[in-house]
Amino acid sequence: MKRSTLFSLISIFLLLPATLYLGTQLSGKAYYITSTLVILETMLPFFFRFESRKPQARELATIAVMCALAVAGRVAFPLPNFKAITGIVMIAGIAFGAETGFMIGAVSAFASNFFFSQGPWTPWQMMAYGIAGFLSGLIFHRHCARLLKNPPLLLGLMSVFGFVGIVVVIGPLLDCSTIFATSSHLSWKYALAVLAAGLPHNVTHGISCALTLVIFSKPLLSKLSRLQTKYGMLS
Amino acid sequence: MAHIHIEDLSFSYPGANKRCLDSVSVTIEKGEYVLLCGQSGSGKTTLLRHLKSCLAPHGEKQGAILLDGAPLEQLSLREQAAKIGFVMQNPDDQIVTDKVWHELSFGLESLGCDQKTMRLRVAEMASYFGIQDWFHREVSQLSGGQKQLLNLAAIMAMQPEILILDEPTSQLDPLAASDFLSTLRKINTELGTTIFITEHRLEDIYPAADKVLVMDSGRIIAQGEPGEVSQVLWKENHPMFAALPTPVRAFYASGAEGKCPLTVREGRSWLSRAFQNHPPHTLSPAGEETVSEASPALTLRECWYRYEKDSPDILKGVSLSVPQGSLFAVVGANGAGKSTMLKAICQICKPYRGKVELFGVPAHKQKRLFSGCVAMLPQDPKSLFVKATAQEELAEMNTDTVQQERVAALCEISHLLHRHPWDLSGGEQQRLALAKVLLTNPRLLLLDEPTKGLDPFFKIQFAAILQKLKDSGVTILMVSHDVEFCAEYADLTGMFFDGQIITVNTPRAFFSQNSFYTTAANRMSRCVFQGAVTAEDVVSLYKQNQEG
Amino acid sequence: MKHDAFSKYHPLVSFLFFALTIVFGVVIQHPAYLLAGVLSGGIYLSLLIGKKVFRWLTALIPLFLLVSLVNPLLNHRGSTVLCYVFSNPYTLEALLHGMVTGSIFVIMMLWFACYSQVLTSDKFICLFGRLIPTLSLLLVMVLRLIPSFMRKTSQLTGARKCIGKSGDAVSFRGKVASGMTILSALTDHALEGSITTADSMRSRGYGSGKRTSFQIYRFTPRDFILIAIIAALTSGILAFGGNAATYTPAVEIDRVGVGLICYCALCFIPIILQIKEAVQWRISISRI
Repeated sequence: MKRSTLFSLISIFLLLPATLYLGTQLSGKAYYITSTLVILETMLPFFFRFESRKPQARELATIAVMCALAVAGRVAFPLPNFKAITGIVMIAGIAFGAETGFMIGAVSAFASNFFFSQGPWTPWQMMAYGIAGFLSGLIFHRHCARLLKNPPLLLGLMSVFGFVGIVVVIGPLLDCSTIFATSSHLSWKYALAVLAAGLPHNVTHGISCALTLVIFSKPLLSKLSRLQTKYGMLS
Repeated sequence: MAHIHIEDLSFSYPGANKRCLDSVSVTIEKGEYVLLCGQSGSGKTTLLRHLKSCLAPHGEKQGAILLDGAPLEQLSLREQAAKIGFVMQNPDDQIVTDKVWHELSFGLESLGCDQKTMRLRVAEMASYFGIQDWFHREVSQLSGGQKQLLNLAAIMAMQPEILILDEPTSQLDPLAASDFLSTLRKINTELGTTIFITEHRLEDIYPAADKVLVMDSGRIIAQGEPGEVSQVLWKENHPMFAALPTPVRAFYASGAEGKCPLTVREGRSWLSRAFQNHPPHTLSPAGEETVSEASPALTLRECWYRYEKDSPDILKGVSLSVPQGSLFAVVGANGAGKSTMLKAICQICKPYRGKVELFGVPAHKQKRLFSGCVAMLPQDPKSLFVKATAQEELAEMNTDTVQQERVAALCEISHLLHRHPWDLSGGEQQRLALAKVLLTNPRLLLLDEPTKGLDPFFKIQFAAILQKLKDSGVTILMVSHDVEFCAEYADLTGMFFDGQIITVNTPRAFFSQNSFYTTAANRMSRCVFQGAVTAEDVVSLYKQNQEG
Repeated sequence: MKHDAFSKYHPLVSFLFFALTIVFGVVIQHPAYLLAGVLSGGIYLSLLIGKKVFRWLTALIPLFLLVSLVNPLLNHRGSTVLCYVFSNPYTLEALLHGMVTGSIFVIMMLWFACYSQVLTSDKFICLFGRLIPTLSLLLVMVLRLIPSFMRKTSQLTGARKCIGKSGDAVSFRGKVASGMTILSALTDHALEGSITTADSMRSRGYGSGKRTSFQIYRFTPRDFILIAIIAALTSGILAFGGNAATYTPAVEIDRVGVGLICYCALCFIPIILQIKEAVQWRISISRI
């Protein structure tokens, strides 16, 4: 068995249950610690997979560029509320597939916090952006080549996916860190209150993501394919 | 046994009908300092890249490359990585990691060195290259020159036997470039590392090379010592001759006899010897330079600017007047604030004191500043590229096809319009960017370091375009490090120092009054002539005085 | 960052320290412990970032109040009813519990802020470089690119401004379009650069075999001693206990004991080290 598979199995079947069990045994706000650990442990298999794949220099450099673009893309827009990061991560997922998409999302989130501040939100952001890249890769990676022709239906689907994905999955996941960090005890009412408070923000986030997907996916994918032909990349 | 032996190497890119390398045979001995020169696109980079298997382009290859007598392919990637160092053009993109110390150790990490060895080698390199002061810094805080030095040090940490450099100084300012080249010289003489380098700016490096190779359309057309090669190029009347150092050009063009001078010092002694017995009767070049009396296109009056409230002033009372229809060059050291001055003219930086007037109207009152008034060509022409073809780039500026065609013809890019901007060569990119800028129909054109990284042929072509623009009435303000270019083509030259324009004069008067900040021709000839600032000046004065 | 004695220890020490202070900070709800946590975290942060700490405080105090006051709205346990909000009881116990939660939140933010200052990226790499070599390389590559892309973005924006293609569009549509243009140009620069970076990596032997990782931080006896102290204090906190506190439905707080002393000693380690170093420096200066 590959070492990475072994590590993944360990983390899923031993670490996760152990953490959950310990979480129930401790009092007070231990659920915060438990939830964070669970998040980290769910990401571990992805990281081990990536390690064992030993990416080539070109691939690694391209992935690094996608991560940094996602983080730095923010400053390109003269609109303070326009969050392009999720959109860029999703396009990267479409271009490189689900697994790499997850890595790009997670690493972007982690790296960006070195420039702002690491905080209780870091693992949640990693997970949320990771999932954004993962899902988009899972659904749209196979249509990657067709996207170059700018098909309106596919772009429409993508923008709907981007918006719904953020409002339903990614935004709430980001809000989870707030829920766990600021609640005195776990209750659905509190969680719903925080989610409701975060909804407007998630909606603008979703709109910017959908816009990024519609406008930017074709240029980015065609740039990648141009480079592939120019330098015989990833072959 | 030769260190590197290239035997009858031919190469063509897939799908290309022309050979990019054509029966190249070269022998390089251990510890030699070899300079490879040639016009852009002559196949220099392709040849260099073949000396390292992992960088060699894909295509059809014939011939052999032997390293210490053994075929290069027999060496594993790991051995090649350790033995052959490769420094590329762009200082920024070559850096992999975020910290200086990490970058120094990157190669050693890849080779799987142990902690003890790494510690020692990294320490050694940091001390040898004088990096210890910025050892813990982030690479983003380094200057271009420091970055390129770091790239060199990071490769030297692996203790390579051969160092290959592909135009390493083309993106650096002259001071950093000469620093880099002297470090390279030190490595060659002290460590005995074999060096194989390509360069555009030959002034410093040409005399220092043990061997010079000249490439033209994939062939080696001359090789040997610098002296021999210059003679061959002169005899064949080869275009590459124009790229040789000033003393060499002046010597051959003036038809002098004897040993060709390579450096300014040798040039000086050649001239003093030539006029030892009969002092020259004509001292200065003919033709008075006249200062244009035209009304100013641009006036700066006592402009002060700083980036942040608490940061030091960058512009400290700049005053400047650029007459209409002239090419005004501003020279000065790196980081002196020259680019900031251009930004102040564009109103991107608004001076907190002082006035900027364009064609007699205060700049902030110009309603449409960037259409038909002023425009700037940035230092990196690629900053202006946002589309997938050159045609679309032009269309972004102006949808009028007649205008597009006119500008494309003026900038000599009509044949390139279907190409992707990023696939063009440096000179072509420069001209495409210029075309984009010109589509705003500026009356005042600002150029920020327009000759950076251009080879001498592109420079000549570029200067011709500027002349045409001037003829059509455009005023040009250029900021540059390239004293040779300014001396040759500017109408007026100003020196920027400490946030001000210190002095303004015609290039001849300007450069002949300076003793350090001047052209090689002037430094070489000031012992016998006055006011000779270009190789042509020296040649004509030499001829006049020899005849008379 | 200002000069700091604790930052000079091995990253493992710092990592362990922050992991413990954050975990204890979150789990223990005892008011005395919370006070110790807020004080030590706040003082240490002010040692690290100086006056900028006030910016943190002005952000944290409203958040503290918000968390403290909102929680009781949704938590109705407790017997001392203060008032009724939307016909639900607003109890003193729940308010106290809310304040405790607010304090925990503040403690967490303070320690994370300190963590960000002390455990810089290269320290993180030092800790995990051997465990996840490729990922940590990816991380340092991204960390190099981000500032470079930021600078490039402003360069691109500036260059476009100078040919009249400025981003001063007023409409939302115009702003998004100009942002996308810049982003697209940035992508060209970035991808083209990545080719050079990859060449530079391969030419320096990346992918030619097993990689090692250069350790710029060395583990010294000093670090070992501090780890031992941290371990001893941690076991002290766990062994002596006295840190339990419940607020709802009724307030029950343990009497403090040696455990609190251990906890304070743990949290104040960086501050104590800083004082110790300052004193030693004074002494060594006065001897000259």
